Amino acid sequence: MADHITSKLNPDSHLILDQPLLRLPFELLRKNFKVAHLNVEKESTALKSTLRETANASLNANASPDDVLKNVDSMIARMRGLKRKLTACSEEENRLHQQSQSRIRHLGELYGMQSLDDVKYEEWSRTRLDRLLVDYLLRYGYKESAAELAQEKGIGELVDVETFVQMSRISESLRGGRVTEALAWCNENKKDLRRMESKLEFTLRFQQYIEMIRTQDEQKLLNAISHAKKYLLPFKDTFPGEIQQVYGLLAFPPGVGPDPYAELYSDSRWSDLSNLFMHTHNSLLSLPPVPLLHIALSAGLSALKTPSCHSLHTPSSTASICPICSTELNDLARPLPYAHHTNSHVDNDLKLLPNGCAYGKGRLEEYARKAGLETGWYKDLRSGEVYRCEEATTVYIT
Amino acid sequence: MDSLLIELAKLRRDANLTESIQDVDKILEQLEAARESIVQDPNSASFTLAKLQNPLKHGFDKVNEDLKRVHKGQSAYGRALDKNLPHKELPFDIDGLASRPALINRAISMHLLREGQFQVASTFLDEAQENPPQPSPMPGTPNFSEMDETEVPSLKSQELQDKFSNMYAILNELKAQNLHPAIEWARANSHELEKRGSNLEFELSKLQFVWLFLGPSVNGLPNDLNNGLSGALVYAQQHFQRFQARFLKDIQQLATAMAYSSNLKDSPYYRTFDIETAWDDVSTSFTREFCSLLGLSAESPLYLAATAGAIALPTLLKLYAIVKEKRTEWTTRSELPVEIALPKSMIFHAIFVCPVSKEQTTDQNPPMIMPCGHVVAKESLQRLSKGGKFKCPYCPGESILSQAREIIL
Repeated sequence: MADHITSKLNPDSHLILDQPLLRLPFELLRKNFKVAHLNVEKESTALKSTLRETANASLNANASPDDVLKNVDSMIARMRGLKRKLTACSEEENRLHQQSQSRIRHLGELYGMQSLDDVKYEEWSRTRLDRLLVDYLLRYGYKESAAELAQEKGIGELVDVETFVQMSRISESLRGGRVTEALAWCNENKKDLRRMESKLEFTLRFQQYIEMIRTQDEQKLLNAISHAKKYLLPFKDTFPGEIQQVYGLLAFPPGVGPDPYAELYSDSRWSDLSNLFMHTHNSLLSLPPVPLLHIALSAGLSALKTPSCHSLHTPSSTASICPICSTELNDLARPLPYAHHTNSHVDNDLKLLPNGCAYGKGRLEEYARKAGLETGWYKDLRSGEVYRCEEATTVYIT
Repeated sequence: MDSLLIELAKLRRDANLTESIQDVDKILEQLEAARESIVQDPNSASFTLAKLQNPLKHGFDKVNEDLKRVHKGQSAYGRALDKNLPHKELPFDIDGLASRPALINRAISMHLLREGQFQVASTFLDEAQENPPQPSPMPGTPNFSEMDETEVPSLKSQELQDKFSNMYAILNELKAQNLHPAIEWARANSHELEKRGSNLEFELSKLQFVWLFLGPSVNGLPNDLNNGLSGALVYAQQHFQRFQARFLKDIQQLATAMAYSSNLKDSPYYRTFDIETAWDDVSTSFTREFCSLLGLSAESPLYLAATAGAIALPTLLKLYAIVKEKRTEWTTRSELPVEIALPKSMIFHAIFVCPVSKEQTTDQNPPMIMPCGHVVAKESLQRLSKGGKFKCPYCPGESILSQAREIIL
């Protein structure tokens, strides 16, 4: 028989919603390293060959001393540039290390708690809610609110404002019909996107193509064709359906084509692109595709919900108001399943009043006392009707 | 988590980018030295440059070694991360909320207001108004968007904020050990409070009496006739009359205690006058009653639901894995398929599970009491009865259907 009441806290399984908390700084750390590595690779190749060429030219007296000096100066400038970039990476690395440390400490606190009834757990769980709220706000683009809440609660190290602000800058530019920022992002993450077999860059390039065709300007149409040759046709085996449309679109200017082509000119493609970008961005960084608040609430609303929460009968007026019955969540919980129970749990010593309402004897007595009734009388906790104690009958719950 | 912290410390100490910067610096120094000697003696340029090639190569080799070490350190930390926080697939299919962001936004606004985060709440209301959320159900997640067609009830945010700022003002006064605003509020709402079976007004007044009674050395109020024993007496005479019908016994007790004022500590009334937790207690009761009269739960529902969700997820996750493996659907959409154990503080309603059908009773299938006092669900009763007659499954009692009555638990 499963017990429906527990206060057991198992930290290992409890940390389900918190995976991205450590995952994201780690992914960012790796990304940061790749940037550093790439820069070193690029500059070392360039520098070595410049040096070799300059040395050879100087040896063969092909270069004037001024030219030699100019080349040496450019090498020094490149090296200073590399140092600057590496310093930036190192600062970012330090920030991510620091952030990871705060986050591990925060998660580690859970291991010091005895049970779900621990006051420390309540505090921890409130912080978790604040984290989930900030995450939700950021994902819906409510940047100011997110930043204020994080600041107000002092949880800056535990939330990812910057990552999401960058993301929404790009996703908003897509909604506004601009691909430049998104393409730059694709370029930064080229390798990972290829590994993921992402369709994002192709779709962005396709959109550029559509926009050129849309103008029906002769020069732009020519540009569109060379754009397609360069960026789209190489993918004819990967996305054969789309390539068909690429060809077909040339025959259908906006407003005349049959459905699949008319749709390509639709403005809604921009919001689809924006969604595709966010989806790609999140999976690249091991971020969940939906706000974790949705997951936590879906599970929690159902776990708390009972058939009584949307019942026509009003609950007894003395009970503490249930969170699902409370205005905040009532409508939200309506379509969700209610919790499963295998055992009844009702008050001890149930007494049935003549009006069909049943309450525990203890509660009836307490309410009568607080209402200032003489002994021998009960008062209904919902309607306030008053009955003699003898009128109440015993209810047997098996 | 401690072992992960150690791994992180190792990473920070042994595998960071600082050394690669130092080694880049060394290359830079060599380049600058070479430039210097070329400037000094332009004829030595080819010699200087030829001599520089090897050190430059070695310099970059060194930088690459530094980077390799960072990479290795990161991989080790990554493995430790996998071990300490193993990846668990989240059940995104249960996201029943993606299609209803307007309702979530409303719940968040109300949460912020009740938590007293008025500034954040107002920023959020502005941002959400300017940029209303788009429902974004993922393929495979339940879509309830059609239900949103009936407009989301508007949030009277200003009204709610006024109410909650009033609540916080009163709570702040309580924190400063001033009971008057709370008592005033309780008196203004005494009818509703009485209906809820709350004796908040009396509890507050009683604390005020005790507070005065304990005198200037405890309450820090001016030492005059309005304080101490005489102050308490005056207060009781002025205010306790209205409670006499309901709390006569308590009042008598307080009055008798006055006789022990000189050695309260050893008196049987010591506990009444021990107010160590009393201030926190009345603050909690006050918050509960204040929210209740607004039709809201005392604790933030968002907090309770998110916490319950975190508690429920491990169980749901197991179930989700099974469902996925067997490629089956959850059998019923109206009820979760597994029982989830929650702390006692998260149980709010009476639950009746019919002992015959093992189903929870609902409005459509309510609990029915038989003349013998046993209770089963209505549908079970109909199944049990033969020609309108049936025998109770739990006792020898026999009765007819029309004798069974619906009850409200």
